[in-house]
Amino acid sequence: MSISKSTSLMRKTLLAAASVALLGTSQLALADENGKELAFTRKKGNCLACHMISGGSNAGTIGPALIDMKARFPKRDVLKAQIWDATVNNPESPMPPFGKHKILNDKELDAVVDFIWNL
Amino acid sequence: MKRLFTAAVVIALPLVMAGSAVASPADDSSAIRSYFSKKFPAVELNEFGNGVYAIDKVSRESWEAIEEFPPYETFVDAGEEMWNTAFANGKGYKDCFADGPGVAHKYPHWDKEKGMVMTLPLAINNCRKANGEKPLKYAKGSINDILSYMTYNSRGHKTNVVIPSDDPRAMAAYEEGKQFYFARRGQLNFSCASCHMQNSGNYIRSDILSPALGHTTGFPVYRSKWGTVGTLHRRFKGCNKQVRAKPFKPQGQEYRNLEYFLTYMSNGLELNGPSARK
Amino acid sequence: MKAKLISTLFAGLLLVTPFVAVNAGDDDKHHGDDGALKKAVAEATAAKKKAASVGGEWRDIGKFLKKAKKAAKKGKMKKAMKLAKKAKWQAEAGYKQVMAQKTVELPSYLK
Ligand code: HEC
Ligand code: HEC
Repeated sequence: MSISKSTSLMRKTLLAAASVALLGTSQLALADENGKELAFTRKKGNCLACHMISGGSNAGTIGPALIDMKARFPKRDVLKAQIWDATVNNPESPMPPFGKHKILNDKELDAVVDFIWNL
Repeated sequence: MKRLFTAAVVIALPLVMAGSAVASPADDSSAIRSYFSKKFPAVELNEFGNGVYAIDKVSRESWEAIEEFPPYETFVDAGEEMWNTAFANGKGYKDCFADGPGVAHKYPHWDKEKGMVMTLPLAINNCRKANGEKPLKYAKGSINDILSYMTYNSRGHKTNVVIPSDDPRAMAAYEEGKQFYFARRGQLNFSCASCHMQNSGNYIRSDILSPALGHTTGFPVYRSKWGTVGTLHRRFKGCNKQVRAKPFKPQGQEYRNLEYFLTYMSNGLELNGPSARK
Repeated sequence: MKAKLISTLFAGLLLVTPFVAVNAGDDDKHHGDDGALKKAVAEATAAKKKAASVGGEWRDIGKFLKKAKKAAKKGKMKKAMKLAKKAKWQAEAGYKQVMAQKTVELPSYLK
């Protein structure tokens, strides 16, 4: 193997490594973005139908504005339980049971919980 | 279907007979009225027949402008022509509805002989079938013309649904309709009441939810979203689908009993159909 | 040098493998799964009927079943199976939803 060939290969490998690293960070950002997207779109969370959420428009007024969530829900699990099935806490809640009825799958639900918890 | 129905009667009968423990239709109605009059103290009873426009000033203005040139007018005219056109056998709607076209306030009613809730669309098709005509479809199409005409001629009459005490099956039908209204359904787990009682007046996205009281008085309704006039049961279907429940058949037993319950709630309110909605 | 090169190549291979595996999974024609799929579809159809018998069917169950059969025809057995299972799960959930509300009382806000 000639030197020049091996350096070019080396370069490619480095590039590959760099792009793998990049992919890593952008995937993290994606996860956040993903949670927001899932919470906002009508066919998924559609939380805006009822909740005001910063960054969303045409929000409904059925539920309280979702702000300062870590103060309201110091424990992430408690927040997750509300989104999983709100009728456990309030049998008359109109909020759809996103987890219990698999409106969101496990991954999607976790992404939404992360997004909401950071509001 | 029939078996399901008798099963319902068997279940509902003891409930009804238990008497005071179970709310009577009159009790239900007064509970619901007092809820809405507290929620919307400025709205007079008869005004509830205007749906969302009774409770929202902003959309009411554009609605009033639309009512200047009502989009349902051509449907009323087409219905009048149907009314006046003889069937192939020489007879017509007149021969079935001896009191004239303005009889919408007599529906829905309990038909003791048939043992079921009789609605106006059903009566129209019974008339057609008895005279050798094809029945009309129940959600879309020309049934809305004849309904528009008949309803237009019934304007001003008051809703007056009776639940006869001499036939327990009538009470069972009412109870089934009530059960339908308050039961959650669909993947999204809403009851009709979640939106039209508990959250009436609230925005869901950018729509204001109208109160259940008065919901039946304005049908059939011209909806801009439909671009045409549609029946009450078409609306029921839409509201079932949006919560991801499988809708029922228009004029099937479920929706007829639902109509029986829902119309009873509006007793005393004037018919004001056809009407226009977003 | 050589050792490093080999190890990077190996790492690259590792990275690529899962994608290859995933792609293969969906297109592969596993005719052996035919029986399992038929069973899943039959179970879902029965569950759908049961939910409908109490008025508790959810909106999209029929669509999932249609899609499952279509996917199966194209040999996408994994996808078909997933859809059939989803249909069955939803049908059972719809049935349970009705059973949990056998008697309705007026909600507290109406009292
Ligand atoms: C149909 C209306 C509706 C929808 C859609 C809805 N919610 Fe709710 N939500 C409510 C109501 C009403 C409450 C008030 C408490 C209760 O009744 O459960 C609530 C409460 C909450 C709470 C607790 C807030 C607090 O401060 O206590 C959180 C968190 C929440 N919702 C998150 C969500 C998320 C995330 C979504 C979307 C995935 C969502 N909701 C969709 C109606 C809704
Ligand atoms: C998720 C909320 C939601 C649920 C649940 C729901 N609806 Fe609706 N409904 C709406 C919206 C939004 C409209 C259009 C705006 C309005 O008039 O409230 C509407 C309109 C209507 C109308 C027409 C009102 C008019 O003045 O023209 C009727 C009748 C109706 N719904 C009946 C029902 C019945 C019966 C059920 C239960 C099977 C039901 N709805 C369940 C949201 C809902």
